[in-house]
Amino acid sequence: MISLVVLRIIIGWHFLYEGVYKFQKETWSASGYLKAAKGPLAGLFNWMANTPDILTVVNFMNMWGLTLIGLGLILGCFTRLSAIAGAFMVALYYFSNPPFIGYFSSTALEGNYLLVNKNLVEIAALFVIAVTYSGRYLGFDRILHRLFTMMKGSKGAEVKGATA
Amino acid sequence: MSEEKENRDRKEVLGKQGKRGIDRRDLLQGVATLPVLGLFGLAARQQKSYENAQKAALSGGTKQPENLPVVNVAQIGVGAQGEVLRDAMLKIPNLKFRAVCDIWTDYSLKRTVSTYQRAGHEVNGYEDYREMLDKEKELDAVVIATPDFWHAEHAIACMQAGKHVYCEKEMSNTLENARKMVLTSRETGKLLQIGHQRRSNPRYLYCYNKVIKEANLLGRIVTINGQWNRAVQESLGYAKRYEIPDAKLKQYGFKDMQQFRNWRWFKGLGGGPIVDLGSHQIDIYAWFLGALPTSVMASGGNDYYSTATNEWYDTAMVIYEFQTEKGPARAYYQTQTTNSSLGYFEKFMGDQGTLVLSESNANAVNAVYRESAAPVWDEWVQKGIVTAPKVIETTDETAALLDVRESASPDEHKIPVVFTDPYHKPHLQNFFNSVRGLEKLNCPAEIGYETAAMVLKVNEAIQAGRKLEFKPEDFKIS
Repeated sequence: MISLVVLRIIIGWHFLYEGVYKFQKETWSASGYLKAAKGPLAGLFNWMANTPDILTVVNFMNMWGLTLIGLGLILGCFTRLSAIAGAFMVALYYFSNPPFIGYFSSTALEGNYLLVNKNLVEIAALFVIAVTYSGRYLGFDRILHRLFTMMKGSKGAEVKGATA
Repeated sequence: MSEEKENRDRKEVLGKQGKRGIDRRDLLQGVATLPVLGLFGLAARQQKSYENAQKAALSGGTKQPENLPVVNVAQIGVGAQGEVLRDAMLKIPNLKFRAVCDIWTDYSLKRTVSTYQRAGHEVNGYEDYREMLDKEKELDAVVIATPDFWHAEHAIACMQAGKHVYCEKEMSNTLENARKMVLTSRETGKLLQIGHQRRSNPRYLYCYNKVIKEANLLGRIVTINGQWNRAVQESLGYAKRYEIPDAKLKQYGFKDMQQFRNWRWFKGLGGGPIVDLGSHQIDIYAWFLGALPTSVMASGGNDYYSTATNEWYDTAMVIYEFQTEKGPARAYYQTQTTNSSLGYFEKFMGDQGTLVLSESNANAVNAVYRESAAPVWDEWVQKGIVTAPKVIETTDETAALLDVRESASPDEHKIPVVFTDPYHKPHLQNFFNSVRGLEKLNCPAEIGYETAAMVLKVNEAIQAGRKLEFKPEDFKIS
């Protein structure tokens, strides 16, 4: 279980860095990345980049999403939600520049090994985090879970008492 | 895995389930990963401080104090080089231009007088520098950009008239006259800055002070290589209507208009490409090595142009030998005027690294390369002395080529100095601030003399066809 916590923290660290970095760099925008999209969903991503309102939302969600998911994973807080949301975001990155055979990208791709790349590995790892309980082992989820079961327990008792 | 075992494992991991309060163990395990955030903050802060150091190094230009006293300036000689200096000076605040002197009254003089007037300066034009010095009593400083063989007479007269002088290089076309200039500067107590402008260039100063002296990134410099290559050029022409009468030209030492326009190529007037171009860079060799050469050998000749129009050698290949504090060093220099390949640069090769430097912003590399055997430079990257190394991707071709006899290619680190001012501006600024008593000259007459002694000897070595020795006293003026 401790190894899963380590895996969770490392992925969380990566998300947090990506998020914080975008906050620090005032001029950051997803538009360049979206415009450089290749593959079957390129049209969708290009449309996002070229629609100012959508782009604002995309930028906002990227910055806050990455930061919050990073915090969630590191602290083990709403771990499952963070992991699933994280996997979804990385999946978007994966499909914006998919390492499919026959597509040639001008953006630097980190680790690209025939269909599998760094993003895909991270998605798979996030699924492992989502289906295990590392947050309840080491993380805020342990406290949250206790609070939740306590509340549920006392609520159940009240109901029971009322009917008795 | 059986269901029973799974439940057991889960219990083991998550502790006792079911209805119970939050105990101390829950709290501790709940916040156990919180310190990771502290670690992240620490790492981010460290990274940020390195980035700030790099940024600070980048923006570290020479900031001028405001409200400096005004310096009254005149120019003697406003041909092509005089115009370069004029345009650089017009970007320097707190200068008042009062007079301009040039013998080409119908062309150069008119042009520069009107340029100054357009910039709001009331300047008087003169043909004769003596008349100018007589009439312009307010002058503090004179900037001289006449042909080399006139430098001594002009500079000496100005200093004797109580003016500080900025004189273009080559200081003089003869060492005898250069010596007289140094002596006059000493006798009159007037400043004499020689126009080896790289001595004030922020990039060169940075490389000398930081890269070589502070960080010693090159280790021991054993060899130097440098060049100034130029494409084929026609002789400079002139419009008929601006022709100077022959009698007047002769009075000022020129045979005809063609020679007046192309004086750099004529013996007795200039020194040819090795003096015009090489002088700047050979000056830097001595500066960075902290030594003067012990010998020079050179090959060169009139390989391409006719000696009727181009008397001096159009091609020169030179080898200097130095004895530095750290040991012997050899320096190669070439200048040729038939092919512009790779333009101009200086390359200092030490046992720890290589520095490739150029005054040019256009085709400049301006980087340091770490020898693969040298200690890592992380400390200097952190301090912002050089940038992080450029990532070099290994391609199949380079991987296949690299065999045991080859050294691994060195890391490339850029010099973090952006310099976009006119090349001559910092050197002129250093001169004017020295006139105000705020700075010391970066290239006083004594240094100009040493460089002239080094460079004028190249033409002698080509003529002699053998190695010529330097004696320490060749560079000294007692």
